[in-house]
Amino acid sequence: MEAIDSSAELELYTIPAQSSWFLWDDIHEIERREFEEFFSESSITRTPKVYKEYRDFIINKFREDTSRSLTFTSIRKFLVGDVNLLQKVFLFLDKWGLINFAPSLNDNDTLSSVDNAKIEQGTPAGIRVTATPNSLRPITAPPLVEQRTVSGIKLPPLTSYSDVFSDLKKPDDVLLCGHCAERCDSAFYQHNKSIVNLCEKCFKNGNYGGETNAAGDFKLVGDSAAAVWTEEETLLLLESVLKHGDDWELIAQSVSTKTRLDCISKLIELPFGEFLMGSTSGRLSSAVPTEDEDTEQVKTDGQEHEETEMREENEDEDGPPAKRKRVALISDSDSSLVKQVATMASKVGPSVATAAAKAAIAALCDEASCPKEIFDTGDYTDSTVDRADGDKDTDMEEQKEEKDGAQGLPVALRIKASVATALGAAAAQAKILADQEEREMEDLAATVIDQQLKKVQSKLKFLDQLELIMDAEEEVIEGGKETILQERISVLQCAFRSGVTKRWDHTYVK
Amino acid sequence: MKALGSSGWKGPVKFRMPTAENLVPIRLDIQSEGQRYKDAFTWNPSDPDNEVVVFAKRTVKDLKLPSAFITQIAQSIQSQLSDFRAYEGQDMYTGEKIIPIKLDLRVNHTLIKDQFLWDLNNFESDPEEFARTLCKDLGVEDPEVGPAVAFAIREQLYEIATQSVASAKESRLSKKSRRGSDHGSASKASGLSMDLVKLFSFKSSVVRKRKDLDVYEPVVDLLTSEEVDALEAREERHAR
Repeated sequence: MEAIDSSAELELYTIPAQSSWFLWDDIHEIERREFEEFFSESSITRTPKVYKEYRDFIINKFREDTSRSLTFTSIRKFLVGDVNLLQKVFLFLDKWGLINFAPSLNDNDTLSSVDNAKIEQGTPAGIRVTATPNSLRPITAPPLVEQRTVSGIKLPPLTSYSDVFSDLKKPDDVLLCGHCAERCDSAFYQHNKSIVNLCEKCFKNGNYGGETNAAGDFKLVGDSAAAVWTEEETLLLLESVLKHGDDWELIAQSVSTKTRLDCISKLIELPFGEFLMGSTSGRLSSAVPTEDEDTEQVKTDGQEHEETEMREENEDEDGPPAKRKRVALISDSDSSLVKQVATMASKVGPSVATAAAKAAIAALCDEASCPKEIFDTGDYTDSTVDRADGDKDTDMEEQKEEKDGAQGLPVALRIKASVATALGAAAAQAKILADQEEREMEDLAATVIDQQLKKVQSKLKFLDQLELIMDAEEEVIEGGKETILQERISVLQCAFRSGVTKRWDHTYVK
Repeated sequence: MKALGSSGWKGPVKFRMPTAENLVPIRLDIQSEGQRYKDAFTWNPSDPDNEVVVFAKRTVKDLKLPSAFITQIAQSIQSQLSDFRAYEGQDMYTGEKIIPIKLDLRVNHTLIKDQFLWDLNNFESDPEEFARTLCKDLGVEDPEVGPAVAFAIREQLYEIATQSVASAKESRLSKKSRRGSDHGSASKASGLSMDLVKLFSFKSSVVRKRKDLDVYEPVVDLLTSEEVDALEAREERHAR
């Protein structure tokens, strides 16, 4: 089937411009290079004819209906041969846009995994690695690192926090399942395109309420009861984690309204939660915000938060937090300042945080021209380390003293201190990002060099082959020369025998 | 010019899994103190041996099994690994061997039946990649199906690879002349390989005949909970 021929129906198929080398009747150099195994005459199952048949069949199959995306599994059954090899051919054609390249096709595959929250690793959101523009291949963006759908790290609400708007919200409309018309109590599945909802039971049984709906169209809208964590529950959770350590059954029992999985996921969400799970001796119970109400206490609590986080990090022998935490950007500016400071401090390593705090306090004191002794910075860091080795009870007492002492400081200075710390932490983070970028640049440079080398190597190979051919030809010519020489000699012999001497007598004549 | 028929013969290769990554399939089925632990996974034989014990301990802890299982699990894994290593020093013949691989397995609620051809000589083959494509194309949601499919493929490949080592030994012992006859013996030994010369000759087409299409088509079934229970009960009875 010719793409463009002189028949009455002119069928046009779009393929990307880079693939215009493709011809039905021939096998192009690009294909030969990619599929050497077919052209090296080393096996009976891989011949150019076989390759051409595979290729033509797949393309024709796609063109039977260009609106649907051709899957490998659907054509695999039609072709005889090693499935890995077939997949290689299929992927080659897909990459060059000779199949599955039509404007009506929606690329649903990459979106389907967005529902599952995945951890972002590697480059931060703003930087994306792309292919060099000089390469032969069509430029495709590498698969996007899947984003976390859960936004950032949530802190437990401060005591002054009150949700003013929740009172105004109407109670949830009673959700009825689309299929069995019963109330969907907690978790239910929502259809992507319409407003049909299904309760859990119906979804599991496969009754999707309508012929056209398929399992993939439904998205789980989580258990509303489990999503909200009140302060008491958080407090209970932290205490029971300290008491029971790793035993999630017992923790779930103490926090009676939450299931095991909820407890685990909530703990992970808390900024210091992972340290709790890792450290065998938790010292945190006293630092959780208590029932104090006045604003001073709030700020003290906020700072305690930060301090205890730093202390936790000092204790934690596993080292600084995972790389992904460091790299995640601080985006929203609407959370309170103290929250932000706490967030930043938790993301940066302990030594960095203390260094930043020291520098910040130094800068502040220079600015405000007040003696540094107010902050007692030396004692801060040393005493926190000491306390880490100390006992749990004395720990609580000391910390209470410290709290009382800290109250003596003017509020404004404390705020400034926290701001300066935040800036210090941000600077540290910026350095880390810069380092990362540099590394990436080196990586890219290495890739480019690699590609150039490969080009040179293939050219060399080609030249080698040419040389071989030349050698062969030279031999043939030599052989030709020999035969001609032989013939001449035989002719001479014949002539001599038959007595023809005219030509060769001129020497005598002379 | 070489005759096409005998060009498929290649020299013997050191034994390894004929896939891109040399991973061993390990199957565990341990019963003790009234509890039964069944599992199947792939192991990298170049991992250090102490990893086996670490893995056994972690598994027992995660699944809350009695600690008697630790030694049993570790022993089972180690014996399977040493079987594999016993084969490793020896040669296997890797002539042109395209074998049909059959899948017939049940993973939780999903039932898969399939058949396809696999080239044992293709050392770049990747069962995991194949399983991933299969699940993606057929819209299988259960994430446990992919690894189970890859494992089934690997198990079959392992079996055939070990058979080819055995047959390589036999043909060496019998001291037949090598030229041309090993191609036949290597492929006949497994009894499964296809008649390649006929299939890929100049006259025949590589497109499969219509009557064979059903055999080679993958079939995925979603079972209801009752059917799953019934099947499990039947399997238990067979095991006894």
